[in-house]
Amino acid sequence: MDFSIVGSAIGETLQFDALFGIAGGVFLGYIIGVIPGLSRSVAIAIAIPMTFYMSPLIAISFLIGLSKGTAAGSAVSAILLNAPGEASSAATSLDGYPMAKSGKPRTALQVGLLASVIGDILATTILIFVAIPFARVALLFGPYEMAAILAFALVFIAGLSGGDIFKGLAAGALGVLLGTIGLDNQTGLPRLTFGYTQLMDGMPLIAVAIGTLALSEMFVQSEKLRYERETMAVKLENHKGDRITFPILRKIFPTILRGTGVGTFVGALPGLGPSVGSWMSYGMAKRASRTPEQFGKGAPEGVAASESADNAVIPAALIPLFGLGIPGNVSAALLIGAFAIHGITVGPLLLRDEPELLYSIFAGMIVASIFMLILGWFGLMVFAQITRVPPHVVIPIVIFFCLAGMLLQGYGAFGLIILIAFAALGYLMKKYDYSFVTFLVAFIITPMLELNLRQSIILSRGNWEVLLGRPIALFFIACTLLAFIILAKRTIERKKPIAEIGD
Amino acid sequence: MARQSFWSGLVVMVFAALCLTWIIPNYAGVNPLAQMPPDLVPNIASWIMLLSAGVVVIKSIMEMVEKRESPVNLEIDWRAFGWAAWPFVYIAAAIFVLSHVKLTYAGAPIIALMLILLGERRWYILLGCSVVPVVLLYVLSVYMMRVGVV
Repeated sequence: MDFSIVGSAIGETLQFDALFGIAGGVFLGYIIGVIPGLSRSVAIAIAIPMTFYMSPLIAISFLIGLSKGTAAGSAVSAILLNAPGEASSAATSLDGYPMAKSGKPRTALQVGLLASVIGDILATTILIFVAIPFARVALLFGPYEMAAILAFALVFIAGLSGGDIFKGLAAGALGVLLGTIGLDNQTGLPRLTFGYTQLMDGMPLIAVAIGTLALSEMFVQSEKLRYERETMAVKLENHKGDRITFPILRKIFPTILRGTGVGTFVGALPGLGPSVGSWMSYGMAKRASRTPEQFGKGAPEGVAASESADNAVIPAALIPLFGLGIPGNVSAALLIGAFAIHGITVGPLLLRDEPELLYSIFAGMIVASIFMLILGWFGLMVFAQITRVPPHVVIPIVIFFCLAGMLLQGYGAFGLIILIAFAALGYLMKKYDYSFVTFLVAFIITPMLELNLRQSIILSRGNWEVLLGRPIALFFIACTLLAFIILAKRTIERKKPIAEIGD
Repeated sequence: MARQSFWSGLVVMVFAALCLTWIIPNYAGVNPLAQMPPDLVPNIASWIMLLSAGVVVIKSIMEMVEKRESPVNLEIDWRAFGWAAWPFVYIAAAIFVLSHVKLTYAGAPIIALMLILLGERRWYILLGCSVVPVVLLYVLSVYMMRVGVV
């Protein structure tokens, strides 16, 4: 490791504009996270067009800060409103809301915040120490290995991010099909463009991301308004004794460490999202507790377990992204899009070509965690007030920013039509349980998959026996087949889904 | 659930078949000299879609037979359908308007009307929620991104 590059990267991150970008991202993320129904991926999808004018470092730091802020903010609504801002905070509400109802809302929020920050910082440290050696090894991989790894990741995500691997594969295949639209790189022939010159560069990523994630989610939310309208939040008042104390901190610390471990493991695997991490961590904390009967009635360990794992997943999901260039979930997939917009190829090549930027991003992630603590600690009263914003007010504003995002990129009316088409597709996928996570990840990695497949075919001259001399590629092909067989068997036997949403 | 899976699987199968028989042969481009034909990946994706959706359909038929469930349900809740459909129609209409008028000018009425349709009647909420996002967009597009009024 070149320490002069590391020092220079830290210096870049500590510049005023970078710090302002990170703080802005965390603050905005907090606000979005507090509002029920607005998830991390929705926030990132809408925010990407707003980063066009920023430098790559500030843009990526802003988006990572946003991602972290939403994770921490979603705990506020889970605790005060019993309506988690994100699915991954559902486990938090099991103990957080009873704590708030019993006159300890501030304690619950502080436990959640500390667990989030500690989990986040520890997982970021693990990311830094794992991703770099991982990327060094990955630099030795050729197109055969990369194509095999990408195919494995897609099958794995299809099987784990929804209940039914066959629906997941169908969604992923649709993502691949749409990802091939545009000029063919080798022959220069237009593919599936139907004569529209606007599609020569491919289907616009912003339209696909905002349509499938944000706009479709607003349609789902507006449909829900028919059944549930009013929400009542617990008031945050200055009660004596409603503070986190050292004995509570000592009690929850082992739970936070366990939750961080679970979250990091789950986050590093493609397809498993923070929901799985937080529920697994909650279950393990309950089993390990001397007073498991307190869980569900206001145990601080329950809040700590869920929040530490939820926040540890975010940096851990970047391990396959920075190490191999494979997004493990939607947020990571959107980051690939954001990197691409700024002309950067994410993955092991980032370590070789732009190490300073990579180290700056790592430093930015640590700074974001510190901002998360400061903003969360001193802004509790403000964020508690935001839980009172009714959802019907949020929906039109988010829709406005979805439309604005498309227009800011210069796509005009054509882009808006594509946007609403993908919103309809995303709505139907959510309604009929087709994994939109797999769809989006497949859409984003298709150019990389096709490039590696093409290089493999050209290098091998179509002779499959070449694979016999590539043990890593063979290993991942075997893993792909094995994962498919196991997950298909699970689907056919109608077992419970492993993950609801791999976000 | 089985009925929904059956119909959704069938739609995906029809789409995949359409891709394999008409869309890809006509629009994906063919170059026999290319080492990797441009239609290879779209074809593989369509076959995966067809086969996966086929399994979904077969699985749902088996479930429906097991539960003695009919594949057709004529009891449609039209009110629920209308409630789910109106935002799409509203946004489609808004897009039509936006093909003639810039979002910065049409944005406030679009937000305000949707708020009214969603049941908001307080004038200060209507005013604040419709004007503030437009002002933010103006600042972002004109002063920060310098792309002019969008």
